[in-house]
Amino acid sequence: MAPARRSVLRKTVRPLSLSKGAIPMAHLFSYGTLILVTLLISLPVIWLVITSLKQETEYLAWPITILPEVAQWDNYVKVFTMGGFSYFNVAANTFFLATTNTILTLITSSMAGFAFSRFDVPGRDKLFMIVIALLIVPPIVTIIPQFIVFARLHLTNTYWPWILWGLTASPLHIFLFRQFFASFPRELEDAAEVDGCGPFRTFWQIFLPNAKPALATSFIFNFGAVWGDYFNPRIFLTDAQTTLAVKLSRAYADPVGNRFVTVTLAASVVYLLPLVVLFFLGQRHILKGVVTSGLRR
Amino acid sequence: MQTQESRARPRNKQRRQSPRKRRKIVAFYMFIAPWLIGFVVLGITPLVLGFLTSLTNYDGLNLPTVKFLGLRNYARAFTDSDVTYSFGRTLVWAALNLPVWLGLSFALALILNQNIKGRGIFRTLFYLPSIVPPVSAVWIWKTFLDQNYGLLNYILSLFQPGTAIPWLSTYALQGLTFIAVWTGLGAGMVVFLAGLQGIPSELVEAARVDGANAWHIFRHVTLPLMTPIIFYQLVMALIGSFQQFVIPLLLTTSVGSGSTGLPVVPPRSVYLYMNHVYRQIFGLQKFGYGTALLWLLFVVVMVLTLVVFRTERYWVYSEAAIEEEV
Repeated sequence: MAPARRSVLRKTVRPLSLSKGAIPMAHLFSYGTLILVTLLISLPVIWLVITSLKQETEYLAWPITILPEVAQWDNYVKVFTMGGFSYFNVAANTFFLATTNTILTLITSSMAGFAFSRFDVPGRDKLFMIVIALLIVPPIVTIIPQFIVFARLHLTNTYWPWILWGLTASPLHIFLFRQFFASFPRELEDAAEVDGCGPFRTFWQIFLPNAKPALATSFIFNFGAVWGDYFNPRIFLTDAQTTLAVKLSRAYADPVGNRFVTVTLAASVVYLLPLVVLFFLGQRHILKGVVTSGLRR
Repeated sequence: MQTQESRARPRNKQRRQSPRKRRKIVAFYMFIAPWLIGFVVLGITPLVLGFLTSLTNYDGLNLPTVKFLGLRNYARAFTDSDVTYSFGRTLVWAALNLPVWLGLSFALALILNQNIKGRGIFRTLFYLPSIVPPVSAVWIWKTFLDQNYGLLNYILSLFQPGTAIPWLSTYALQGLTFIAVWTGLGAGMVVFLAGLQGIPSELVEAARVDGANAWHIFRHVTLPLMTPIIFYQLVMALIGSFQQFVIPLLLTTSVGSGSTGLPVVPPRSVYLYMNHVYRQIFGLQKFGYGTALLWLLFVVVMVLTLVVFRTERYWVYSEAAIEEEV
């Protein structure tokens, strides 16, 4: 009996120690893949930055050269002076739309998310099913009829659509806040109620201040979506009111009509920077998976 | 208001018994009011109006003389050769894009779920392209994939001199896949990572003690437990594929001159369904026909979603089913 048991023990131990020995090999393979993917992902971006520092003639020379002879930092000045529009003004329009819409969306969506997670009210689950169903409906299906309606109400060529969209919350963000608030302990609102807090004060003073990860994630997602949106500004706004996405979809050109791709690429880099900064400010919340919390078992 | 109502219906015991509950109901609807009003005004109303529009020959200007066409717009879609063509292109694109994206983001999640050094940095790096807006993504890839001045053809020509693949015209479908996979990789990876972290470590440990190797653990523990996540990702990506049109549109817009003329037609190989719809509405002002096409898209997306949900039980792991077997 005793030797048999010992052999069983040895059997269970051996594969474990073997796998420990195998780990560096497996990791070597992992690192190889990771470095390869990193290269593949970043190469186009590196090429963008390099090309944005070339002279237009250098860019159009063939065969191509990898690095510019002299880095043309001047291209980054031309972003603001060329192209026949004021980059600052267009950036201000874009920033206004993105912040206004995002702040409104955050307020209304967190309110609805709070209600859907913390109020045990008849009919709640059916209403929430509508929210979920709306996540599947292609937005384009409602946007184009909305465009027809807004056009008749003379709301196209104004910023009102963005304010209205913000005021009426977004299913995605409602879902996000609902998942987040659902993890709060029940005692929190019971205690608040005992202390005489109404539901609005409970929400505003207890739940919202504790929802920073969800707020940060929501803010970054929504701000990025509006900042990067090409379609809505394209159809809802005139060229004078439009956003950077629309302006930068066309190449910069001098008054004669010669295109300056290198300057456009520099403008693209400048356009990206705020999003990169915002992402690094909130990345720990995004990658920790506030968004995916609903998928966890 | 509240007291009057309760006095008016004193026999309604439930209501009289719980004024607290009624206050809760009122508060609930106050909290969701912005969304609910928006759902009716900006959701249901445009949907209904859009459907009504799809039954007419409305072109944006002819409201006084608009004609009711019944289902003729819908019937027309089935004889429009461009609809068939663009729908086919969308399917081909989804068939190319989904497996690559799904496989790659799953593989990266598996690698980064191991306890290896620097995984935080790699996660951040792989996620970064997800924050790049479509306009920038298209500029990045147009510069990279350009037939003559792009880096990719340059690198390829080092191995095969004279390589000049037209990634943005003849091979635009492959070019589009590059862009879409690059942009979607990080978001897909994060969702897979969340799923992987939800797998109980006891299960993996138990399998290892039983002598399972890494492949067996993946095949019989990780993969079955991940099927719900794969399923979710598949449905969402499929729905997303059918809505794609901005990137093909931008591929052309920025090629063209600096003119402000609205609709442009993407290269034929990436003339997707939504590009056709966009052209009908904003190029040709055929609001009636365009919205009919939108409703058809809506139906297709719904049917696809239902089909995937229907087949779910054949391949998606669920804890309840396992418990029944045991």
